[in-house]
Amino acid sequence: MAEFKIRKGFNVRISGKPKAEIEAYAKPQTFSVYPTEFEGVKPRLKIEAGDTLKRGGLLFEDKKDERMCFRSPCAGTIKAIHLGARRFPAEIVIERAAQDESVTFESYNRDSLKALSREELVDHLLNCGLWPLIKQRPFSKIADPEAAPKAVFVNAAGTAPFQADFSLILRDDEEAFQLGLDAMVKLTTGKVHLCKMVEAEIPRFEQVENHTFSGKHPAGNTSVHINRISPILPGDAVYTIHAQDVILIGKLLQTGELPQTKVIALGGPAVKEEYRKHYRVSLGANLKPLFEQALEGDEVRIISGNVLWGDQVTAESAVHYYGAEFFALEEDRSRILFGWTTPGLFQYSAHRVALSTLLSRKKEWKLGTNLHGSKRAMVVTGWMDRYQPLNIMTDYLVRAALAHDTEEMIQLGILETDPEDFALAAFTDPHKTDVCGIIKRGLEEIEQEGI
Amino acid sequence: MKFPISDLMEKKLAPHFKNGGKLARLYPLYEAGDTFARTPAEVTQSAPHVRDAIDQKRLMILVIYALMPCLFFGIWNAGHQFNLANGIDATLKADLLRGSAMVLPILLVSYLVGGLWEVLFAVVRRHEINEGFLVTGMLFPLVLPPTIPLWQVAVGISFGIVIGKEIFGGVGYNILNPALTARAFLFFAYPKWISGDTVWVGSLNANPLVDKLLGTASHTADVVTQATPLAVASAAERGTNAAAALNEAGYSLWDMTLGTIPGCIGSTSVIAILLGMIILLLCGIASWQIMVSGIIGCAAMGALFNLLPIDNPYTALPFYYHLVMGGFLFGIVFMATDPVSGAATNVGKWIYGFLIGVLTVLIRVTNPAFPEGVMLAILFMNVMAPLIDHFVVQAHIKKRSAYARSLNHA
Repeated sequence: MAEFKIRKGFNVRISGKPKAEIEAYAKPQTFSVYPTEFEGVKPRLKIEAGDTLKRGGLLFEDKKDERMCFRSPCAGTIKAIHLGARRFPAEIVIERAAQDESVTFESYNRDSLKALSREELVDHLLNCGLWPLIKQRPFSKIADPEAAPKAVFVNAAGTAPFQADFSLILRDDEEAFQLGLDAMVKLTTGKVHLCKMVEAEIPRFEQVENHTFSGKHPAGNTSVHINRISPILPGDAVYTIHAQDVILIGKLLQTGELPQTKVIALGGPAVKEEYRKHYRVSLGANLKPLFEQALEGDEVRIISGNVLWGDQVTAESAVHYYGAEFFALEEDRSRILFGWTTPGLFQYSAHRVALSTLLSRKKEWKLGTNLHGSKRAMVVTGWMDRYQPLNIMTDYLVRAALAHDTEEMIQLGILETDPEDFALAAFTDPHKTDVCGIIKRGLEEIEQEGI
Repeated sequence: MKFPISDLMEKKLAPHFKNGGKLARLYPLYEAGDTFARTPAEVTQSAPHVRDAIDQKRLMILVIYALMPCLFFGIWNAGHQFNLANGIDATLKADLLRGSAMVLPILLVSYLVGGLWEVLFAVVRRHEINEGFLVTGMLFPLVLPPTIPLWQVAVGISFGIVIGKEIFGGVGYNILNPALTARAFLFFAYPKWISGDTVWVGSLNANPLVDKLLGTASHTADVVTQATPLAVASAAERGTNAAAALNEAGYSLWDMTLGTIPGCIGSTSVIAILLGMIILLLCGIASWQIMVSGIIGCAAMGALFNLLPIDNPYTALPFYYHLVMGGFLFGIVFMATDPVSGAATNVGKWIYGFLIGVLTVLIRVTNPAFPEGVMLAILFMNVMAPLIDHFVVQAHIKKRSAYARSLNHA
């Protein structure tokens, strides 16, 4: 239980913040599941096109651990299975049936949950298909069910533009959240840390350590929470999970059915003003109708996740298993005449190299995807660490990663981090280095070699 | 918005330089011109999906702007010193014209020859032209005497760019500051032209064409000798007072601050350098740690010499003279802060800057062979910078693991 002030940080002042209200989004006709979302999983499909199944019916399992099941978010018929590279299933499309039949699992309350052993709970979550919501550090991979971690970090913060507001999501679901937290307590030998921002209206919960953080982005990143509360030592593992996913697990335990909905935030400069808000959507629901209505602009990039760390998706995209936000902004291919020497009144910079930094301190910018420059050799300026609260020497870490020096990467603290922690470094870098990508490959390399 | 230039670039020129065009090998040249005219249209390929408006071009142009006070003052001062020494009416116009005739050809040669190498390497290596040479090409002329023969400028900048930078892989990979490497090469290869008493102001009829144009061809020509303050201080004899010797030679503290004294083109005026320093610091593009620690180091070493009981008038020279004499300030503001060749860690920058200040004074005072120490001090510390950073990074690693362990057993 503690309060943490994060001094270093930077909020990208981009327009399009979603309002703090939730609109129910009607159930669409098609649903999608993306097996590619689950990094490290080798899916063995259990269905074919044309099969009908109930909500909660088995879609595929992991070849590496057959206990790990992935289940259907709706009752209906398999419409198509789109294969990607190397015949890896990229998308399973399900046509919704009129009748919403559901597979029922065991249900629990706080007392009966207490009687469960860790193994029984793990098996239950694996079987119901919600285990992959729990991730593990280092490497941000799906949690290893076997080894009990030293702690679980529940992230109810989120400072990147624009993450869903958990105080909003939590309304009416406090009970399910508490039950989910109880389940988290079962999983670890240590403590469960619930981390929230100081300004969020989130009550205290039992059984867990309630921490508050204040500061600019990345104060809401899980890595920062771990670093301040219980840093990862070599050989350690911690579980991490987003607070909304704890509610999903709580609902599963409570009702014995797969949860049906979650809340997503839709924001960004390319979203029409009146559509910038939170939506209660069905898991896996196709969002094409929403995007068609809500987006404006000639060429819009839709991102699943936040603008600093998310993946580009198509306008046909469905609600993803991970993440609770979509962000839309315009592809900006404009070219500025003599842009290198304009006073910079209309360019947004975190540095003091454009007059706008001085003159429009409060302005929210309608930013596009322009790179604003060409790639250059990296020069160590120290700017990468300017907004890094993690006590990481980013420049040296990037160099070590480029040199494939796994030992030095570990010494410099790469295991404490996730690529998302370097988004601000990449944002501010004048040489347009792909910092996040370099760190991601560095982490993959270490994982392959083993620590 | 569509500009006529964009049509010209995209429709008429681009096809020749793109793959399959006749001039495809010269693509870097086209790319440089294209992105010079208009910022590139490239969009982000991966997260983060938005980026800051800053890029290398903007960064480098700001350094160039910061050098402008030094350049303009240098042009005027070169002409002014010339006219004074040669007995020509030192009006503002005459000074500027004479100064331009002396300095601009040096600048031009530096940019042309340096740019040529940069383009050549970019074409051979098939990468984009790096804007770094814009700064190198400006820094180098500013640390040369105004009488330097143009062929030496060409040779010097070639050495600086090729040996100092390109053989390591270009901007971002070099160990030494390219502009200083170029100057050091000239200093050791052609010492007669870059040091001594005859190179700082120049004499009439060295360039008959210029004299004809400026109407000074009829004046009688003498070889002008003018010692720089550093040489005067260094030559002060035992038992005399170095500060008094400087005053006697016409170099008061104020003159040296103002910069109206003979010396390298851009580095005489403390005021012009401070203006540049303010620009750099306001924009936050050069390390203030290096500047501050360098000045502290220089003053500290000067003060230490003041205290030591050595029978050498130079050691007794008040320490603040060292800050305004010679090229120290220019070096610490513009050369030492080069992020590629300097120390990279914050703690490292303090050590690096401080030692540059200390070494500068040490070389000046104790080594009569080198009246100016800042060039060698910076080059030496360039070489040492990775070592300093190595120790800082090692300390950082120790501190990291201590922090993690302390929280885990708390």
